[in-house]
Amino acid sequence: MTDDLKVTVQRKGDAAVLYTRGYINNLGGEEIASRAYELMDDGIRVLILNLQETKIVNSIGISILIEVIEKMTEKEGRIAFCCLTPVIQKTFQIMGLAQYAKIFPDEASASQELGLPAAS
Amino acid sequence: MSLPFEPAEWRKIGTDRRRTGTWMQLTATLFDELQAIEKIAPRAASASRRRAETIRDVLARHLSFKRIAVYLDDAQRGELVLAAATNKSGMPEALERLCVVREPESVLEQCDPPAAHVVPLASSKEVLGALILGGGGQEVLDESGRSSLRALGAYLSALLAASRLASEVRDGDFQMRLQMWELESLYDIGLSIASMLDMGQLGDEILVRTMSLVNARRAALYLRQGQRFGLHQALGGARAQFLDDELSADSVRAILEAGEPVAFEKGADCIFPGCETLVAMPIRSSSGEVIGVLAAADREFRDGSVGPFEEGELRLLNRFANQVSIALQNARLHRDALDKQAIERDLELAGSIQSNILPRGLPDTDGYEIAVLHNPARQLGGDYHTFFERDGIISACVADVSGKSVPAAILVSALHAALQLLFHERRPLGEIAEELNRHIHRWSSESKFITFILATIDRRAGEIRYVNAGHNPAFIVLGGKVETLHSHGLPIGILGASRYEAQTRPFPAGSLLALYSDGITEANNVEEEEFGPARLTDILTTNETRSCAEIRDTIRDAVHEFAGEAPQYDDQTVVLVRTSA
Repeated sequence: MTDDLKVTVQRKGDAAVLYTRGYINNLGGEEIASRAYELMDDGIRVLILNLQETKIVNSIGISILIEVIEKMTEKEGRIAFCCLTPVIQKTFQIMGLAQYAKIFPDEASASQELGLPAAS
Repeated sequence: MSLPFEPAEWRKIGTDRRRTGTWMQLTATLFDELQAIEKIAPRAASASRRRAETIRDVLARHLSFKRIAVYLDDAQRGELVLAAATNKSGMPEALERLCVVREPESVLEQCDPPAAHVVPLASSKEVLGALILGGGGQEVLDESGRSSLRALGAYLSALLAASRLASEVRDGDFQMRLQMWELESLYDIGLSIASMLDMGQLGDEILVRTMSLVNARRAALYLRQGQRFGLHQALGGARAQFLDDELSADSVRAILEAGEPVAFEKGADCIFPGCETLVAMPIRSSSGEVIGVLAAADREFRDGSVGPFEEGELRLLNRFANQVSIALQNARLHRDALDKQAIERDLELAGSIQSNILPRGLPDTDGYEIAVLHNPARQLGGDYHTFFERDGIISACVADVSGKSVPAAILVSALHAALQLLFHERRPLGEIAEELNRHIHRWSSESKFITFILATIDRRAGEIRYVNAGHNPAFIVLGGKVETLHSHGLPIGILGASRYEAQTRPFPAGSLLALYSDGITEANNVEEEEFGPARLTDILTTNETRSCAEIRDTIRDAVHEFAGEAPQYDDQTVVLVRTSA
């Protein structure tokens, strides 16, 4: 579980979904940020972070996610989270992430809300 | 009017270029563009560099200076650092903060070639940065030009101060939320893990929460095993035994004796191979005993480094360890209860098996009246009785196995199987007892034995043959007189070479045989007096004319009444056999 976080990306037109697997700490957060910034530089303005395979997040990981949200906001894009464990969802709410990025129970509802093509 | 500014657009304006209104308009454009630095996300690692680059680019577009260098404050280094420049060559990499305000000339001389102007960027409390400008024919400025530079500096200072303030507000908000999250987490963890009864699931949750709370990269839970701690679960790979070497013996002692956390800045490898920093937090039970250790390793920092755990994190971990202790004790109690339930189910099953060993009904043989009392003290008893009927002759057996519960029940089963085989081989009573003795002696443990009486009553012959191997004396009652059938051999299983010879006594019609276990005669009352054989024989003689069933009930009631509130410690068995003509 504490192996480096793995991130996979699925692009859907002008949007993308990032799938994380593992611990969102400093290393994991940086990996997510790096992939997210690449996508933003590539013109992606709608990003869904699917955290289904992530069970732990620490405060440093959270601060990096906030940076990612701020950067996307700066570019007038949108970010949403989906498939959070109850613990992580509560953490995001307390830490204020939920103020700037919507949280959805599943990827389908996130995609629908953000206007992504239906999951293949 | 001499201006330090030579905006690119200025040249295109032509004849209007020296009109004050045009200059003001262009300056306002410059100021508007500088406001872009407010939009840069304050938390981003690159925010400082991006602000400097924005300033450089805006100034380069609007001013005629060829050399523009932007220095911004680096709190960690405690100086102003060159963050962006049109050309970094010849520019000092860093400047002393106060130097730009107090000794601007020395700052300019540090540049190669020397620059023309230094513009401090400062609030009333602190220096935020500086601009160094030069080239472009603007080396000497008149008062108006110097005023313009001061205005530019003041404006940029205000923007940077606002950005810093926004950043501090956000950091403060983040810290406040973080503390709230820690408190909420502790509360949630308490609720969550206290209701977790599976040790594996509980261990996983504890480790996840630990890593999350103190920003650790690895965590392990050790549970105490005597004077050592055995690894229960780990995330990130940990050694199987905690501090299992001589070097760390002092640390283990400190945890066990003082219950204090042990923080390692060196030697953390003793728990997590390859880790750099470690804290081992004792988990103490409600009685103060250290029941485990919660270890966390490699505390992360935002810059990607790992370092020692700080005071606040140790305090947080300590509080968490208290909740872990409660959860572990709950889970253990639950596991014990489950184990107990499993044992009870096993005992119930074994009790059911044993009850099937005992006769379900009584022999219905002409000329014999039989009654039985079997009252076990527990689910599994050590008393045994059975009957055999062959050729109109009844044999009755009562035995009492030493010990209680499962071991006794196993021996009862062995006795039952062997006795059934031997009796149906039509062997004489003495031989049956000797074979049983050899069998039990060989296969049971040394401390186990069986008192045993087996009697064959031939009503037609009017005699009784019996073997009494260390059992309570049986009684024959007839006409108010009692004959006692004493033991004439060692209990079964004590000595492999024991010999048993069947005894014969007259048993005329109407005689009543009473076999019983010591649970009857040794039943205690609250004064710890025994019921005794005298009370039993008294009942037998007094009630001799009544049916066997009535006599049995009388014995049962008398023992029960005698014992009163005293608990029943031993199985109680009575077998009554009476013959008729």
